[in-house]
Amino acid sequence: MDTLVARYSRPAYQQENQFDDIEEYDYAADSVSGPSLKFAMPPVAHPSSWLRAATDDRSNPHCPIKIAHGTTTLAFRFQGGIIVATDSRATAGNWIASQTVKKVIEINSDLLGTMAGGAADCQYWLAWLGMQCRLHELRHKRRISVAAASKILANLVYQYKGMGLSMGTMCAGVTKEEGPALYYIDSDGTRLAGNLFCVGSGQTFAYGVLDAEYRYDLTVEEALELGSRSILAATHRDAYSGGFINLYHVKESGWEKHGFTDTNPVFWKTKLEKAEFSNVTSDFSEEV
Amino acid sequence: MSMFSQNPLMNGPNYSFSETPRVGAPEGAREHRFDPYTDNGGSTLAIAGADFTIMAGDTRLTSGYSINSRFHRKVFKIGGTTTDQHDAHLVLSVVGFAADGEALMERVDAMCKMYRYRHGRPISVKACAQRLSTILYNKRFFPYYAYAILGGLDEEGKGAVYSYDPVGSYEREQCRAGGAAASLIMPFLDNQVNFKNQFIPGSGEGHALQERERRPLTRQEVEVLVKDAFDGAVERHIEVGDGLQMMVITNKGIEEIILPLKRD
Amino acid sequence: MSSPFSINGGACVAMVGKDCVAIACDLRLGLQALTVSNNFPKIFQYGDNVFLGLTGLATDVNTVSDLFRWKVNMYRLREERQIAPRTFANLVSSSLYEKRFGPYFVSPVVAGLDPKTGRPFICGFDSIGCIDFAKDFIVSGTASEQLFGMCESLWEPDLDADALFETISQSLLNAVDRDALSGWGAHVYIIEKDKVTKRLLKGRQD
Repeated sequence: MDTLVARYSRPAYQQENQFDDIEEYDYAADSVSGPSLKFAMPPVAHPSSWLRAATDDRSNPHCPIKIAHGTTTLAFRFQGGIIVATDSRATAGNWIASQTVKKVIEINSDLLGTMAGGAADCQYWLAWLGMQCRLHELRHKRRISVAAASKILANLVYQYKGMGLSMGTMCAGVTKEEGPALYYIDSDGTRLAGNLFCVGSGQTFAYGVLDAEYRYDLTVEEALELGSRSILAATHRDAYSGGFINLYHVKESGWEKHGFTDTNPVFWKTKLEKAEFSNVTSDFSEEV
Repeated sequence: MSMFSQNPLMNGPNYSFSETPRVGAPEGAREHRFDPYTDNGGSTLAIAGADFTIMAGDTRLTSGYSINSRFHRKVFKIGGTTTDQHDAHLVLSVVGFAADGEALMERVDAMCKMYRYRHGRPISVKACAQRLSTILYNKRFFPYYAYAILGGLDEEGKGAVYSYDPVGSYEREQCRAGGAAASLIMPFLDNQVNFKNQFIPGSGEGHALQERERRPLTRQEVEVLVKDAFDGAVERHIEVGDGLQMMVITNKGIEEIILPLKRD
Repeated sequence: MSSPFSINGGACVAMVGKDCVAIACDLRLGLQALTVSNNFPKIFQYGDNVFLGLTGLATDVNTVSDLFRWKVNMYRLREERQIAPRTFANLVSSSLYEKRFGPYFVSPVVAGLDPKTGRPFICGFDSIGCIDFAKDFIVSGTASEQLFGMCESLWEPDLDADALFETISQSLLNAVDRDALSGWGAHVYIIEKDKVTKRLLKGRQD
C-alpha cells in the first residue's frame, strides 16, 4: 500500500507509465524518422472490423474516411527489359481526387514498384521496402535480387493479412542473375512471377490491348508504344482511370523514365492519325 | 487472383479485411459502439505561386446542422521556435475532425521543433512533408480523420504545396482544395490556376486549337481567386462560412489575413 | 454507390443570360465504372424554345423523355399552339408527382424562353416533381456539386449569348473533369429569341 501511495504521490513529471495504454507522444521515435512497424491501434476488441466500418467505402458507402483508390497499372517483360506503365487518377467514390498521382514508385535506382489500391499503403510500404533493400546491400555488399525484394514485401503484407491493407503492386527490376524479373504482390499475400500483369479497376481493358499485341521479342520502341496504348484504352473505358500516362523502361543499368503524358492529346492523336477509337466523334461542326 | 472475386464491377485490389465473425462479448460484458469521429465541416485551400504560397481556410466549425463556432482556425503556422510562431516558415491546414486535426498539428509542430533542436536549422518543407506522411501512416489502423495540406517554400524559394489523404499518401501539387467544399472549389482551381479546358482563341481550327500555356499567377491574382472560390462555396455549402483565414508565405515570413465571409 | 441516380452517370446544367438561356449536358452512358456509350445526349427539345435536360437512370431518361414527347404532342394537338416553358415545367412537375411512391430516378432541368415576353425561364426538379425556380442557373447529375462550384464562381447576370456559351461550356467541362461518371464530350444549346444554336464540345475522353 505504501509503495502504491508513494507511486502516485510523486510530482506529475516524475510519474512514469501513467498513461501506458494511451498513445503518448514519443519524442524518441522522432529520431528514427524512417518507416517503422509501430502502429497506433483503436481501443476496441476487433480493430479490423472497426477500421472497415470507418474506412472501407465499398462495404460502407457512408464511411467517414475515404481512402483514395482506382487505377490501371501494367508491367510486362520483353527482350529489352521491362516496361512499366500506369495512369494517374485517384478517386474517392465518384469524386476524382487527383489526376496527377505518381503510381510508379521508384524503390531505388534499379527497382520499380507500382501502385494500385490504397495509395498510402503502397507509398509507405514500397518506401519501407526501399529501406530494406538498402540494408540488404549494406549487409551483403551486393544488390538485392528482385525475387528477394518482392518476397520481403509479400511476407510483410502477409503479416498484416486481414487487418485492412489494400495494395496490388508489381515489382520490376533487371539483375545480372535473373535478367528482367517481374513479380505481382497483393495485400492478400499473393506473390506471382510472370511475363505480364495488369492491376486495378481498368486491368481488363489493358489486358485486352496488351494480350493482343504482346510478343517477347518486341523492340524497345514497340514495347513503349504498347504500354502506353494499353493504358490509353483503359483510361477511355474505365471511369476510375485517367489523367496522365506514366511510362518507364527498366534495364539492367537501372530504370529510365519515358514521360508523364496527358492522355487527352495522346487520345486525339491516336484517333485522328491511326483512325482508332471510331466510337468517338471528331466532327464538331456547328448544328442548328 | 483472389482479389478479383468480390466486386465484379470495381475489380481493383480489395481490402484484405478478414471476414471477422461477430464474436459475442464475454458473458455479462457489453461492448459499446466506438464512435471516435465527428465531421466538423469547413473547407481549406492552398495555391503555390512562383515565390509564395497561399493557404486558406474558412473559420466555421460545425457538427451536424449546428454551428459550434464562427471563429475556429484550421490553418496553422508550424515550425517556429516559440509558441507564438512568429518565426515559423511552414503552414499546415487541417480539415475533417477538428480534434484530430489539432492533435496532428501539435505533433507535427513538436516534430519540427525537435528537428531544429537536433540539426540546428529549420526543417525543409520537403522533409516535413515526408515526415508528416509517416506520422499519418503510423495511425493507419486508427486513422486521424484529417485531410492535411502542408505549404511552404522549397529549397529554390518556389511555392510548395503538399496534400495528404487521412492515412498519409501525399503528393506535391500546384493547388489543392480540401474538406466539405473541395468538390465545389477544385474544378474552379483546375480552370483558373492550371488553365484546364482553356484554349488560345484563333490559334487553329478544330483539333489544331492550341491549349493555353500555364503561367505562374501573381500574389494579387491568387488572393482574388481564393476569395472568389470561398464566396462560391459559402453560397452552396452549409458547413462553410463566417470567416476566411489566409496565410501568405513569402521569403519575408508569413502574413495572416482574415476576411469576412457570409454568416448565414 | 449503386444508387439508381449514379449507376449510369451524367451531368446537366442550364443558365440564364440577357434575353437568352443555355442548357448543356455531357454524353456519357456508363454501367458504374464501365463506359458503354459516349453518345448519349440528355437534352430533349419539346418546342421552338422549350428544352428538357434529364440526368439519372438511363432507362428512365429514355422513358420520361418519350413520355413528355407524347404529352407535349397531345397538348399541341388539343391547344393548337406550342407549349410554353412554364406550362411545360408544371406538366413535368405533376407528371413526376403521379409516380410519388415509385418515382422515375431522374433529375430534370427545364430551360426556355417565354413565347410571349421572350423572357428567359429555367427551373429544376427533384425526382418527385418539386420545382426549383432559379434566376441564375440549375444543375443536376452526378457532377452537380462540381457544377455548383463552377457556376457559382463563373456565372454573372446579363451575359450575352457568346459570353453565356463560354460560361456554360467552361462550367460543364471543368465540372465533369472532376467526376468519374460524367464527361466524354458535351452538347450545348444556346437559345435566343429566334435562333437556337447547338454545339458539340470536344471533351476529355478519360
